[in-house]
Amino acid sequence: MLIVLALAGCSQEARRLVPGPPQTAPNGNADPRIPAYQENLYQISQGGRYFAWYGCSACHGEDAAGPANLADGDWRHGGGFANVFAVIGERHAGQDYAARTPVEQRWQLTAYVRDLSRHHAEKRRRIMLDQKAEPQGSAWLGPQ
Amino acid sequence: MAWSAMKRRIALVPGAVLAALTGACAGIQSPLAPASDQAFALHDLLILMTAVCGLIYLLVIAGLVWSVLRARQHAKRAAAAPVDDSALDRSLIATAAIIVTGLTVLIFGSFLADRALLAARAEKAMMVRVTGHQWWWRIEYRNAATGRWVETANELHLPLGRTTRVELASNDVIHSFWVPNVSGKIDMIPGRRNMLDLTPRRSGWFRGACAEFCGAQHAHMALDVRVDDPVAFDAWLAGQAEAARKAQGPGEALFALHCGSCHAVRGTPANGRAGPDLTHFAARRLIAAGTLPMTRGALQGWIAQPQALKPGTAMPAVPLRPAEADAVASYLAALR
Amino acid sequence: MIPDRAHLDRLDRSWRDPPGFWGFLTTVDHKRIAARYIVTALFLMFLAGMLALDMRWQLSVPENTRMGPQLYNESFSLHGSTMLFLVSVPLMEAMAFWLVPLMLGARNMAFPRLGAFSFWLYFGGVLCLWIAHAADITPDLGWFEYPPLSGPAYSPGHRADIWAQMITFTEVAALAASVNVAATILKMRPPGMTMARMPVFLWAMLIASIMTILSMPAVMLVTSMLIADRLVSTHFFSPAGGGDALLFQHLFWFFGHPEVYIIFVPATGFVSSIVETFSRRKLFGHSAIVLSMMSIGALAFGLWVHHMFAVGLPRLGNDFYTAASMAIALPAGLQIFCWIATVWSGRLRLATPMLWVLGFVATFVIGGLSGVMTASAALDLQLTDTYFVVAHLHYVLIGGAMFPLFGAFAYWYPKATGRLMSERWGSIAFIGIVGGFNLGFMPMHFLGLMGMPRRVYTYPPGMGWETLNQIATLGSAVAILGGLVFVANALWSYRHGQPAGSDPWGGSTLEWASPSPPPAFNIAYTPVVRSLTPMWDEGPGLPAMDGLGLDRREVLITSVTAAVPLYRQKSAGPSIWPLASSLAVSAMFIGSIFTPWAIAIGAAPIAATLTGWFWPDRPRAGSDAPSAGA
Repeated sequence: MLIVLALAGCSQEARRLVPGPPQTAPNGNADPRIPAYQENLYQISQGGRYFAWYGCSACHGEDAAGPANLADGDWRHGGGFANVFAVIGERHAGQDYAARTPVEQRWQLTAYVRDLSRHHAEKRRRIMLDQKAEPQGSAWLGPQ
Repeated sequence: MAWSAMKRRIALVPGAVLAALTGACAGIQSPLAPASDQAFALHDLLILMTAVCGLIYLLVIAGLVWSVLRARQHAKRAAAAPVDDSALDRSLIATAAIIVTGLTVLIFGSFLADRALLAARAEKAMMVRVTGHQWWWRIEYRNAATGRWVETANELHLPLGRTTRVELASNDVIHSFWVPNVSGKIDMIPGRRNMLDLTPRRSGWFRGACAEFCGAQHAHMALDVRVDDPVAFDAWLAGQAEAARKAQGPGEALFALHCGSCHAVRGTPANGRAGPDLTHFAARRLIAAGTLPMTRGALQGWIAQPQALKPGTAMPAVPLRPAEADAVASYLAALR
Repeated sequence: MIPDRAHLDRLDRSWRDPPGFWGFLTTVDHKRIAARYIVTALFLMFLAGMLALDMRWQLSVPENTRMGPQLYNESFSLHGSTMLFLVSVPLMEAMAFWLVPLMLGARNMAFPRLGAFSFWLYFGGVLCLWIAHAADITPDLGWFEYPPLSGPAYSPGHRADIWAQMITFTEVAALAASVNVAATILKMRPPGMTMARMPVFLWAMLIASIMTILSMPAVMLVTSMLIADRLVSTHFFSPAGGGDALLFQHLFWFFGHPEVYIIFVPATGFVSSIVETFSRRKLFGHSAIVLSMMSIGALAFGLWVHHMFAVGLPRLGNDFYTAASMAIALPAGLQIFCWIATVWSGRLRLATPMLWVLGFVATFVIGGLSGVMTASAALDLQLTDTYFVVAHLHYVLIGGAMFPLFGAFAYWYPKATGRLMSERWGSIAFIGIVGGFNLGFMPMHFLGLMGMPRRVYTYPPGMGWETLNQIATLGSAVAILGGLVFVANALWSYRHGQPAGSDPWGGSTLEWASPSPPPAFNIAYTPVVRSLTPMWDEGPGLPAMDGLGLDRREVLITSVTAAVPLYRQKSAGPSIWPLASSLAVSAMFIGSIFTPWAIAIGAAPIAATLTGWFWPDRPRAGSDAPSAGA
């Protein structure tokens, strides 16, 4: 039991707080760098924080419906890592996320978004509650 | 007031010795160099408690040494003398009385100091809200006359001789606001608002720190505090209230594109709330909550690779071409 | 009555363990279980000490690059969690396990298999935390992981869950151990040992056990709530969800404060025993010391808010907790007076155990007084979460618990092994540890007063903190060297120490009546007690009672206050069920880190092993004449 724990936990929980090398976009859905982000809980949770900060939750919030619902596992343009990565950068007309989000952060956002459907709605909501502090961007109405 | 004066006289001699010794160690982030009414009250209490506790310790060690020496003498006797504990029984009662007296003095002194910390609560005071983030401080001044809020970050200015009421909140996890020269610490807890009164009596620069473990970069969450005379303070606050001057060059547009999602510069399209407000960034002394000095080199290094200087920080490394990086740094360096 | 060879052989046959590895796994001998606890805990103390040395090296120089923030945060979390949950409390429990039956003239504890179970479960907790460390999933949020930092949003993954479950392991183990110790002390005293004639050591262990039973449920509850928040998305500690981050702090510290007194009170028991023996007079102020221990035990439950003075609770409440926290200095101070008075009026023999008591008084009182300073709600606002409080907590834990423990180790080593430890190397170890400790931790008081906060992996240059940090590192290194000398002395003396008889120090209590080392059955006859210091008062032969069976395991049960013999209890023999149950419980605990279904699924093996454990034992259940074997 403990051996299983040891084996399973190794890379998933790794948390290396060092500057990474300059990133490039993923080379297709089988890029060998993908597991270091998709399977790593720290990178996914960082993606979750940037998800709020870059304003994604304004449209893709907890109760988003239709194409904005990122948690239903229904990917209109393919669900592979590189597909979702491309959609974030290129298919949000007018938002220019390709310029606004650094490449490494887009890797984290992609990993987060693809991970969403693996969790219950309660869990997603619970994490949102803890990160629900102040409104972001143009939703700021002044201190309350 | 009379009680605190009397306390000071009681603790004078040991207090003077202690103060002389410790004053040598005091600095800009130390409870031993009080610079406000609140810090003075706590400093007095510290001297009183150190004096009383020091005296008690000396008595205990003296008793221990005496006992060991006497008992070693008696060990040379072959057999035990009959034991008469009546003298010791009386000493036990006396000791209990001494302990109770000492503790009562300290409890009372502590109670009075606690009341002194709240003495300014009845006064009207300028409101400042400080919100803790991982790992920086959002600071918002309320202008009582206009009712508007002025926002800045990481550098707190206070008017000399006037009471400032700090409202403490947290954006994410538990932090703690601690500027030792100016007051004790109060935690910043999500879902709660705590209040702290500060009445500075000495001008200058002081350093505060987050005092509740808040994650990877808890060690680099310092607060720069400046106490100014009221005229200079009002001028500073008025300057902070203005929007940023219109800048020349490509820096402003680049900043709004790459940095505006998280940072705000009032008067420009950059209106992010995730990171510190940078409207008057270059007027501050330090970068990244006390991590780096405000120099061009440090600024460019920070923008280029924040993870190298503050590993784990939320600010990403934005890949910019050298010309772009120069332009953004020049733009920021002009935001006074 | 001098037992003859046949008497001793029959006893030995009934009480000894099966040979070899099977005996190792199934033993319920309290001495062997205690030895395992002690060896494991001392090894963990060494590992946690190495972590501390690492951290001290990192902090010797400002902006040092030896450790990054992640590694440093893991180090202080692991150091604190190990020392408090896996070393201090288990060592005190182990000393109780080993000494309580010997001091009672009893053959074993009240619940032998429960004792084995508590060790295996403790060991499961050790493995839970340290295998996680080996796999690089070390918890990294401190030894009390406050939410929301430890909640699901800011601490993804299982690190915080591993910490929380380690606590569950050790707290169930501690509960089991405490119930065992309390029942043994209350119901298995020798005839004539009324509560008034009970040695102070036994009072200390009884009070610590009752405190454990009353406080541990709070921490099990709060860590389970944390796991629930993280695993099944409850909102106990989420303000936006209707919960309260402060609820964690209240519940945790309701346990956390009694915990440190659970560590301290047994130490006062060690000191009382050592002072009595080495002053060669009856302990002065027996009633005062016992009543002080009881007040400490009771008061300890009313102080927990002093860990939360900076949180912003109502002022008047804070002042109440200031008064209560300072008030506990009264019973502690009276105990110290009584010990010093015993020495003053005695004929001191200054051997190594007594040296440790002197070191304890000189060191612990500093910690107690710095505690009085931090007890002030107002002053604590400057002192808490700085190196001042780090200094305070180490002074009280190391000075107040570890030094008496080292003294107790030196004192009872000859009883356990039949040989004395070297006095010379014992003194050298003492000087190294006590001197090094004070050199290392006294500067931290000043560092705190100079503004250095705690739990920082580095600090900027120019704050004036460098020199004191370097002195602290030097002192810690010296203390650890002293610790190594102590361990070397213990190992060397095991084979080469001067042989000790059953009573090398001339002790006053019953454990010195049995041979050194004690045989599996501890003592041939049940002693009868007529005073507080039976070994001194009864002349050349202790009065004893005969009548316990020789051919099966039997212990004597007596009444709670007057210790009148009531009946003979058939004591459980070696059994595999404690190990099997603890494996089942461990599996459930570890599984529930990953999925809530583990609780339902894990209940089945637990039910099975408990059924095996409690399956009626026909020979034991009958009341006919004893048959051979257990």
